[in-house]
Amino acid sequence: MLTQTANLATAVGPHLFWITSRAAGIAALLLSSVSVCAGLLIGGGLTKGRRPDLRVTHEALSLATLLALAVHGLTLLGDGYLHPSLGDVAVPLLSGYETLWTSMGIVAFWALLILGGSFYARTRIGVQRWRKLHRFTALAWILGVAHSLGEGTDAGQSWFLAMTAIAVLPALGLLVVRHLRPAVTARAGVAS
Amino acid sequence: MDPTPNSPRASSPKRPADKLDARALARARRDAMLRRARRIRRSVAAIAAALFAAAFLAIYVQLASGNDPALSSTSTAASTIVASNTTSSSSTAAAKKTAAKRAAETLAAEEPAAETSSSGSGETSQSATPVTTSQS
Repeated sequence: MLTQTANLATAVGPHLFWITSRAAGIAALLLSSVSVCAGLLIGGGLTKGRRPDLRVTHEALSLATLLALAVHGLTLLGDGYLHPSLGDVAVPLLSGYETLWTSMGIVAFWALLILGGSFYARTRIGVQRWRKLHRFTALAWILGVAHSLGEGTDAGQSWFLAMTAIAVLPALGLLVVRHLRPAVTARAGVAS
Repeated sequence: MDPTPNSPRASSPKRPADKLDARALARARRDAMLRRARRIRRSVAAIAAALFAAAFLAIYVQLASGNDPALSSTSTAASTIVASNTTSSSSTAAAKKTAAKRAAETLAAEEPAAETSSSGSGETSQSATPVTTSQS
């Protein structure tokens, strides 16, 4: 039993960075999807009463997503097979591995970082302008989902597809509803 | 310095008790909101950590048990290489190559007593594809 465990550890050992990156990617996909749901609920005025709680949840989920994405990209630097440089994981179109999908993920990350981080500079940007800008976060999230489905190692697995559907479809539905309904701007203040 | 109704300021004619009550109420509400926000942040952090841990564990077990998608596609990749060298799907070639490489690495780590088999035991990760080819 002990030998088997040791063998398993030896077998998986070289892939620890890869496993960590995959796990962080999955966590980021789920967290970002829930965060998008929360954001759309706030912005669309689809909630009643619990708006401050939802805003805090949205913010915390967004920060957790960014952290998971940072782990997702940075742990790849330690991968024994790919051996990517910092540029490969941070600059679009630089990596030779699955260039399109990788670039899509990198663009999504930077967009999420900039658009999400702009929340803390919204008074300087102007709340109305920031709110318009913040809508593009959904586009960055869609890019991220496409990246995970196009390049993800587990993308062909039924459990991954089911999990993605459960997380992504509600957010997509809310996104459609949001675009069909006018945004709640009068009461939103700086929250949305 | 809480302006509670029992404090000397509460009896001041300039500040009626109901106004102070309202302030205390507002402060209590704000404190409750901050507490709730802290609790939500902690919950989200815990959920995120749990998600990551669960995904890590699932992938780890999947990889260790040999059911990883990258590993399972190795046989397909190997057979494809042997069956026809001419057919090559450009979109999946890179993935298959990765899979083959990773499988070879795993095999090399898993079976250190592979001296009996002819090739592959001394090879590093850089020469994994020939190992996969020889398996087929």
